[in-house]
Amino acid sequence: MADIEIEIDGKVVHGYSGETVISIADREGIDIPRFCYHKKLSVAANCRMCLVDIEGNPKPQPACSTPSSAGMKVHTKNEKAKTAQKAVMEFLLINHPLDCPICDQGGECELQDVAMEYGSDISRFTEGKRIVDDKGIGALIQTDMTRCIHCTRCVRFGAEVGGIVEMGATGRGEDLKIEPFLSEGIQSELSGNMIDVCPVGALTSKPFRYEVRSWQMNSIQTIARHDLVGSNIFTQTHKSKVKRVVARENESINETWISDRDRFSYQGLDSENRVLIPKLKIKGEWKDASWSDALDFAKNGIKKNAKEGLKFGTLASKNATLEELYLLQKFTRGLGSDNLDYRLDTSNPCNAKVLESNISLTELETIDHALIVNSYLRLEQPMINHRIRKATLNGASISTINAKAFNFNYRISHSVLTSPQNTVATLSGVLKAVLDKSSQTSPDYLKNVTVHQTHIDIANALLNAEHPVVVLGEHVNGNRSSDQVSKLVSEIAKATDAKTLNASLTGNAHSAERVNFKPENGKNALQILSSDLTGFILFDVYPNFDCIESKNAIEHLSRDDAFVVSMNSFADESVLSFANVILPIASFYETSGTHINVDNIAQSYSASVKSAGESKPGWKVIKVLADLLNLEGFDFTDSPQIADEALSLTPSISEIEVPISNSEMPSITTVWQYTPYASDVVVRHASSLQQTRIGRMSEASVCKATAKLLKLSEGDFYKGVPVNINESVAEGCVFVHTHLPRQLGAV
Amino acid sequence: MDKENPSSLVTYENMGGYKVWRKILHGELSPEKILEELKTSGLRGRGGAGFPTGLKWSFMPRNQKGQKYVVCNSDEGEPGTCHDRDILRFNPHSVIEGMAIAGYVMNATVGYNYIRGEFMEPYYRFEEALKEAYDAGLLGTNINGSKVCFDLYSHLGAGAYICGEETALLESLEGKKGQPRFKPPFPANVGLYGKPTTINNTESFASVPDILSRGGQWFADLGVTNSGGTKCFSVTGNVKNPANFEVSMGTPFSDLLKLAGGLRKGRTLKGVIPGGSSTPLIPAAKAMKMTMDYDSIEKAGSMLGAGSVIVMDDTTCMVKALTRLTHFYYDESCGQCTPCREGTGWMYRVLKRIMDGKGKSEDLELLLSVQDKMLGNTICALADGAAMPVESFITHFREEFEYYIKHGKSMVKNDG
Amino acid sequence: MISNQARKEIDIWVAKYPEGKKSSAVMQALTIVQKENGGNLTNELILAVADYLEMPAISVQEVATFYENYNDKPVGKHVIRFCHNISCMLNGSDELISYLEEKLGVKTGEISKDGLVSVKRVECLGACVGAPMCQIGDQYYENLTEKSIDEILDGLK
Repeated sequence: MADIEIEIDGKVVHGYSGETVISIADREGIDIPRFCYHKKLSVAANCRMCLVDIEGNPKPQPACSTPSSAGMKVHTKNEKAKTAQKAVMEFLLINHPLDCPICDQGGECELQDVAMEYGSDISRFTEGKRIVDDKGIGALIQTDMTRCIHCTRCVRFGAEVGGIVEMGATGRGEDLKIEPFLSEGIQSELSGNMIDVCPVGALTSKPFRYEVRSWQMNSIQTIARHDLVGSNIFTQTHKSKVKRVVARENESINETWISDRDRFSYQGLDSENRVLIPKLKIKGEWKDASWSDALDFAKNGIKKNAKEGLKFGTLASKNATLEELYLLQKFTRGLGSDNLDYRLDTSNPCNAKVLESNISLTELETIDHALIVNSYLRLEQPMINHRIRKATLNGASISTINAKAFNFNYRISHSVLTSPQNTVATLSGVLKAVLDKSSQTSPDYLKNVTVHQTHIDIANALLNAEHPVVVLGEHVNGNRSSDQVSKLVSEIAKATDAKTLNASLTGNAHSAERVNFKPENGKNALQILSSDLTGFILFDVYPNFDCIESKNAIEHLSRDDAFVVSMNSFADESVLSFANVILPIASFYETSGTHINVDNIAQSYSASVKSAGESKPGWKVIKVLADLLNLEGFDFTDSPQIADEALSLTPSISEIEVPISNSEMPSITTVWQYTPYASDVVVRHASSLQQTRIGRMSEASVCKATAKLLKLSEGDFYKGVPVNINESVAEGCVFVHTHLPRQLGAV
Repeated sequence: MDKENPSSLVTYENMGGYKVWRKILHGELSPEKILEELKTSGLRGRGGAGFPTGLKWSFMPRNQKGQKYVVCNSDEGEPGTCHDRDILRFNPHSVIEGMAIAGYVMNATVGYNYIRGEFMEPYYRFEEALKEAYDAGLLGTNINGSKVCFDLYSHLGAGAYICGEETALLESLEGKKGQPRFKPPFPANVGLYGKPTTINNTESFASVPDILSRGGQWFADLGVTNSGGTKCFSVTGNVKNPANFEVSMGTPFSDLLKLAGGLRKGRTLKGVIPGGSSTPLIPAAKAMKMTMDYDSIEKAGSMLGAGSVIVMDDTTCMVKALTRLTHFYYDESCGQCTPCREGTGWMYRVLKRIMDGKGKSEDLELLLSVQDKMLGNTICALADGAAMPVESFITHFREEFEYYIKHGKSMVKNDG
Repeated sequence: MISNQARKEIDIWVAKYPEGKKSSAVMQALTIVQKENGGNLTNELILAVADYLEMPAISVQEVATFYENYNDKPVGKHVIRFCHNISCMLNGSDELISYLEEKLGVKTGEISKDGLVSVKRVECLGACVGAPMCQIGDQYYENLTEKSIDEILDGLK
């Protein structure tokens, strides 16, 4: 609670003792100009724009760094304050180029805005203006450092939020220069936020450069769909194209930040690979078709091949909307089929209990220990990782159990390298250590488990923590014992009073779980793609990338007796090879929908732009097809109606008991992880992201011993990916991190 | 005195050195008593700001748990100042003893002496003295079973005037750029590595042992009201014998000038910068009437600063002198605060243009306005230091500037 | 990149600072590797120091570009750092710098043809009572005259 009273411009206001003057003023809506101050960054007090008059002080004081004290009288607009502010403004402008007409920041520039009020019409500076060389910092951020006003927000962002110190202020005095060490490009997965924090046109969006003036765009509130956070964003559109994405503040979800994936993926929408018109395959030849012909063709094919649903299966992308997933399962089940799944990258899509997430994003900041299992969290879920990093800044420690030692942006106290086939043993070891340490009885399945010192270290860290969390990441999906891994993680959490966070359910997987987009008794994704089904709907599925057994999947779907309806937003060679009809659907930002995030918050959004070409929102396509097939319960006229119905139901799949046992595993396994910029079809087509260091990553890491067994050497390719032999990988597995399609399928 | 080796431990001890420190080690002198004597002595920080040393030491949370630090500022770089260099070269043990005493008073067990990177000879002398002190069992952990601990290390700078500002010095000591920190928090609460820290100038530390061995009152009596003790003045510029002189506070400037051999033959006094380049210039007539203490110099329109007396005779072109000083601040600004980063360069460029014969009639008003806008608007005092000479030079020698602007050359004959 | 000898010297500095505060030694580390490299720093050296002291490279770069005594370009075997600040100026430093430049046939900032000497104008070196003065290596030369400059130059090898 506010505990002191101060006076700002004659108004009595309340604050906390020691709270900065600017913070109180901001809360009270009293405008104080500023450039270096940013509420989410440390105070620098260097721009001096926020100088105010505080009674009793001979000199004006910066509102951003001056702690308030009871009875303080502050004047933000009296002559003394104004004189100081105007003085600073004049200094800021002497070397700032007056190129607003060609500056992308024009119209949304903090310097421009403040200058309107505090600047002077005529410059008294007649010496030559400073010109700064640009090193260039990569594909995402356009630099124009001559415009830089040295507020150091970007530098502080890197050090404090991004967690990688990349930008710095080199030189001194007038030659002070904001730049990275080398021009190789910024590496942070959150780098685009530097554009948002930059008050001027020094750092602007490179893909957006010279596209359109900011005031010509519409800003539409929407939700980013790539990860399980559902960051709040604005899509900024012009002539029905998304021109830019910027962060929208939501303290409990993404604060003021978004990941680069969420910011720059919109570029994919404009890809020439978009399918814009319905297509039919007649005698092996693709022909453009009208919607009615294509739908008719699809209807007839399904009718003929579904055989009352017995021979019908549906696969959908985990990034589809809640509405699409709901209608699609209703459609499939309406046809009498229980063959449906979204778990395409999962090698063990069984109905074991899904590990629950029971910690909120904001709560993650308060943990004091995190055990991260099977996850390169920083690249998988940047905003979740950011919350955990905040906790580490407050002293939280981190342990990891992973197949590879990853480049986290915080210190890892205990790390166990473990291959997929050894993960159950490792987790069993940790669980046993936990139970032993806390004098709890061990179940039988832990009887013969060996406990190593590292297991004890992790057990101690969890037991000694007051607010621990266990995070399970997406590598678990490729593990054939994923059910056992989930169960052990859950048991460890239970025994240590830890919260759990399931980061393996990415994209909109929470929506898929919510609407039971998986079989109860029917066939799961692997079975759909290997049994005798003859009718299929694929909803935004690109087996080349999305299916774990991609080669088998493509072969299976290419059978002569298979009829495949593909609802796609992008064209794809493999889809063209096996599909019989392609119904073009709207992509991200082109359709209304709902995303359910890790906190179980359902966030609905409307379309930002109309869908590309003749493509239509997925829910409409499914509805019309259902109507054509005379299925019941599709009387929807807009997507909120669908969402309401979907959310009113509760998941009802019965779960199977998971025994912990030694399951058959190959002696050498592969962990296949896509770069964050290859995680779904939209971002895969975002050209600028593909040019970044993260986007270009493609490496099959393997340790010496395993390389020897596989007869691999440096320079070889493993499943099409260049081999890198190093000791950061667990024995017995190959860790593939790439943007390339799964050419040969997973081992 | 061992003239051959004035910096040695033997010489220092023969002169009564480490007497106070040994008393402390024997448990015969309490921190409270020391603070009391320091306050009585009227010793004020010799680095330039003139803050009472005893008061500064009493700000340290001595009973707070955790590491605390004592730091000596030997980053001497204010143009016109060079007495700390001599203290380090000729009397390093006084600094060591002063710092050790400070450590004891403030319960700080570790000290660093930040020596400017160019002072290699002083650095080697100081390192030698440190080794002597350690070898003699005067420093370390639980010194002679006294439970008193004090470890002292030297740190070398690498060329940045701004590191003489105490918080910039701390940043530098932490391995960063020397950019001053905003205050609060003050170093006494959040200092080196975030721990409570007290920073004093070399001369301040060096004065402490004598004050404590002879008593605060003795020191106070050497000076005048508000300016206790003696002070080392560097007298440089247009004098016959530039040198450092330790004289009582309150000594007339004219006497100090005489000590330095007076002006060269046939010259007359034009102006004096009394406290180092950052302090305002005082014209001759006023200077000859002032005495060398805080109050009198302030009355004359300037500041005692670091006690760096720069004497200018009638051959000095004030335009050139000011341009040179302004270049200094332009070169040394750390660049973080807008007014300083932009203002120092602006002022220098205008002056340079005047020197190049391209001055404009409105330039003087512009300079006065720019310096005024810098004054008091930045984190540290460097901008003030850059501003004040501009104001004082133009105010006192306006006709010289006007002449230069009008004629494109200096009105001082002897100047090229 | 960093020689064993240099590592040893850097370690002496590292030992002066508390556990985990290695970066305090960065200024000396840069000084040491610059000296070993013949007077200037390179990106590779900055990276090596960053690596050795476990600092981000850009933070080391900030230090290397902030302080006057680091050079990013090659310098002469001996750098004559001539003070041109107020007390030295009042005692004729400008004239002596011109004399020096003429004698060496170089301007400030340049290296003599034989690579032996370069001249740099610097701000106050804190020996104002000995104005005009300059620094070469660790040594200060005070009360300079044309004659003493001749002698100093003759002594440089």
